[in-house]
Amino acid sequence: MIIFGLSPKSAQASPYQGYTYSYWGEDVKSPIAYLPSRTITGQELGIGPFTTPSDMFASSDGNLYILDSGNGRIVVLNSEWKAIRQIQDFDNNGKQDSFNKPEGIFVTGGGHIFVADTENRRVVVLDGNGTFIREIGAPKSEVLSDKFEYIPRKVIVDKAGRIYVVARGVFDGIIEFDSEGEFNGFIGTNPVQFDPVDLFWKTVSTKEQREKMIRFVPIEFNNADVDADGFIFTTTADKKTSVPVKRLNPSGIDVLRINGEWGPIGDLSRDRSAFIDIDVSDNGVYRTLDSTRGRVFTYNEDGNLLYVVGQLGNQLGTFKTPIAIESFGNRIFVLDRDLGMITEFTATKFGRLVNEANGLYSIGKHDDAAKLWEEVLKLDANYEMAYVGIGKSMLRQGEYKQAMKYLKLGNDREYYSKALTKYRREYMREYFGIYMTIAIALIVIVMAVRRGLRLRKGGMKQHAVSQGR
Amino acid sequence: MQFLKDAKYTLHVAFHPFDGFWDLKYENKGKLRIALTILFGVTVMMILKRQYSGYVVNFNYPLDLNSIDELKYIALPFLLWCVANWSLTTLMDGEGKFKEIVIATGYAMLPLILIYLPNLLLSNVISLREASFYYLLESAATLWFVWLLFIGTMTVHQYTVMKTIMTMLLTVVVMGIIIFLGLLFFSLIQQFIGFVYTIYQELSLRA
Repeated sequence: MIIFGLSPKSAQASPYQGYTYSYWGEDVKSPIAYLPSRTITGQELGIGPFTTPSDMFASSDGNLYILDSGNGRIVVLNSEWKAIRQIQDFDNNGKQDSFNKPEGIFVTGGGHIFVADTENRRVVVLDGNGTFIREIGAPKSEVLSDKFEYIPRKVIVDKAGRIYVVARGVFDGIIEFDSEGEFNGFIGTNPVQFDPVDLFWKTVSTKEQREKMIRFVPIEFNNADVDADGFIFTTTADKKTSVPVKRLNPSGIDVLRINGEWGPIGDLSRDRSAFIDIDVSDNGVYRTLDSTRGRVFTYNEDGNLLYVVGQLGNQLGTFKTPIAIESFGNRIFVLDRDLGMITEFTATKFGRLVNEANGLYSIGKHDDAAKLWEEVLKLDANYEMAYVGIGKSMLRQGEYKQAMKYLKLGNDREYYSKALTKYRREYMREYFGIYMTIAIALIVIVMAVRRGLRLRKGGMKQHAVSQGR
Repeated sequence: MQFLKDAKYTLHVAFHPFDGFWDLKYENKGKLRIALTILFGVTVMMILKRQYSGYVVNFNYPLDLNSIDELKYIALPFLLWCVANWSLTTLMDGEGKFKEIVIATGYAMLPLILIYLPNLLLSNVISLREASFYYLLESAATLWFVWLLFIGTMTVHQYTVMKTIMTMLLTVVVMGIIIFLGLLFFSLIQQFIGFVYTIYQELSLRA
């Protein structure tokens, strides 16, 4: 009993461990950033169980929209988790219409609801009360082949009203519609990836054999989100790709910042993480949901891993089949498809500190951030981001030597080198005079000694000559 | 005093290799202890380099550093090179004795110390932008070493240029073969010991 009492025990038990990855790619334990605070199912809401819910959306006013796919309805929860609305049927130009296994939902800032009505092959637009506005059918264009099948899975809308649809079996990228619902084209095509071994077999096999082989096709996107600047974050679930997360600018070019060796790829293990959803929150922070191990990886805008939350399992705070992730303020929501349940995670002290420090850090307030990073270090002395944050702040304040120490601990060679350059200059300015004096004095002494020796030798020679005479 | 004189002579070899290696072999100026001292010096140099090069160019994981490992990276390849080179040149009518090969190889490694030491000091004051100078000097050291090794091998065995190049390449292959045979040998011994032990266990449990 005594031993048990003495053994260190976490303040709140958690079914998963907190960790991050060090610069060297080793997993380092870290405090838990988010703890499960509550869960909710359809029964608890009094509206009947959710049947294979497939997506949800946390809107800016704090409401949570759940797309209850199997029941073909949208459930709207307010921030107190009361069901304030259910949208099941709508009036489509005089006739009653409903959803058929919809998979994606998006709510604009103006309150319009976009639903990717998958089996009906269309995107439905409703207003906040569930009144039908319009529907957007399959894209029509000459560039699409006749066999093109339109199965929309996810939909997002940017600030300008452009609609982006992630569709199943589409390898050309994300389908873009303008605000009127006209097909614009594809953006962000993934490059074709193949195994060199497969390529070898393909080149040596006959034409008949080749036709039976799998074709090398680009990887399709499986989910997307849009950030405040209108950039589109996409995920691919393929375990072979080295860039499962992309940040596409309006012309479809990946502009995701990757600082460091690894980039946002989830767990650094042989069995790679497979991202199935992504959620962009403030200050460029984004969270990806991994279906391999049921974990939520949170990255900052530089692609540094901040913390990891969740796991597969059957306790509170673990999932069976996580399908969607959303966040609002300091809370994260994860939707479990098979359990029909939403789990809410709330930030711990550590999580709040990291979020806040990273927020200040990303808008360039390094000095304010440094104070918080120091708090973070008190909780986790292995948190490399914090060392880098403090180091950058010290670099600005002109404390170059200290900055070098912290940046080395945080393994940031680029900024370490900057600090070193400054420190070097400062050092030389201070000690140049002394070193130069010493050097000149040495030279003078050496010359004097040499001359003295020569004089002596010459004198002796003269002496010898005078003796000989 | 004699030792200092010999040590000073290594510099002559490094800067005037044709003349230097000739004298090593035919004027008996090469000393085995000097060669082994250089080998030891290079080992120490590499340990220092791994531990103390500037952070900007030092990509070693501190927890992985192990000075004993340098035996694996320097002493073992040195020995392998000498043995492989000797075995090969005996068959390819080279004139060098084993001792002469060791001496020539040892003396040829001097540039590694000569350049790595100032480079180590330099690396602590350079920034990322200037790091290319560091890498330039590193490669210069390697090239100088290979150049000396080439001249050394050529002089010791009295080979032509082409034959020296061939011999050096073949030596590398032979080094690989020796490692393979070594591993095979150890693996077989291991299996054999395992077999004997199982029989012993079987018998002792039955009796």
